Amino acid sequence: MIEKLPRSVVEPKNPRLNASRRANLPHVPGIRVGDYIFLSGMTPIDPQTGERNHGPIAEQIRTTLSNMQHMLESAGSSLERVVRVHVVLADISHMAEMDRVYREFFPVDPPARTAWSMQLRFGNGCEIECVALAN
Amino acid sequence: MAPRREVIVPSVRTLDAGSSFGQAVSTVVRGGDFLFVCGLSAVDARSGERVRGTTASETRQILINLKQLLEAAGSSLDKVVKVNVLLHSMLEAPNMNEVYASFFPDPPPARTVCGARLPDGAKVIIECTALA
Repeated sequence: MIEKLPRSVVEPKNPRLNASRRANLPHVPGIRVGDYIFLSGMTPIDPQTGERNHGPIAEQIRTTLSNMQHMLESAGSSLERVVRVHVVLADISHMAEMDRVYREFFPVDPPARTAWSMQLRFGNGCEIECVALAN
Repeated sequence: MAPRREVIVPSVRTLDAGSSFGQAVSTVVRGGDFLFVCGLSAVDARSGERVRGTTASETRQILINLKQLLEAAGSSLDKVVKVNVLLHSMLEAPNMNEVYASFFPDPPPARTVCGARLPDGAKVIIECTALA
């Protein structure tokens, strides 16, 4: 007999970072199921205003990853518990700059990462999603 | 009890994508019962250098390396549950498929293929999630 895994929504403590609810999009910021947390693709949202931050790419990456940290910590996890990351850039030439900022957030034993470039919505320069272990 | 997270450094160091190319990436991370393998591009396991060829040859090289990485981590291609394949052009999907099919058991894992702009002139990137 297989036990049904509990499934719950991951909500950011800062409601301004609930981008999907604010834009009325049909997804939640993240789902926790069993030992895993699956976050939706996160974008550079200013945590103070809830507005998109379209500054230089380094700033966009930094904002997005700080928001990811907030989201994981809201769910009782952390960046240290991330196992898989997808980084999508609007511009492939930003790859080196992305990696430079990214490593500030994952200084040791970083997650398995895949990075590529494709069209993004709303003029965002990056979109980052992850899978993390719950604590 | 909180599930274990462990970075598995490839025993074949030339296949350690992150350290080879100075990127903040672990090649294989174990989380609970699953192994998460980073997006692999074609690398020569002897020299550790990137190899750039056709979509078919890059696919073959990546899957040879993936097999080795999984087996060194105590898993195998038979235990892969999900694969994501990124191609520089979707017109190349049949060329990737022909090689790809020969590596996986029947039935093969769940898979997504999409066309994207890839870093470092790669024609193919493959990542997967496997049972540990």
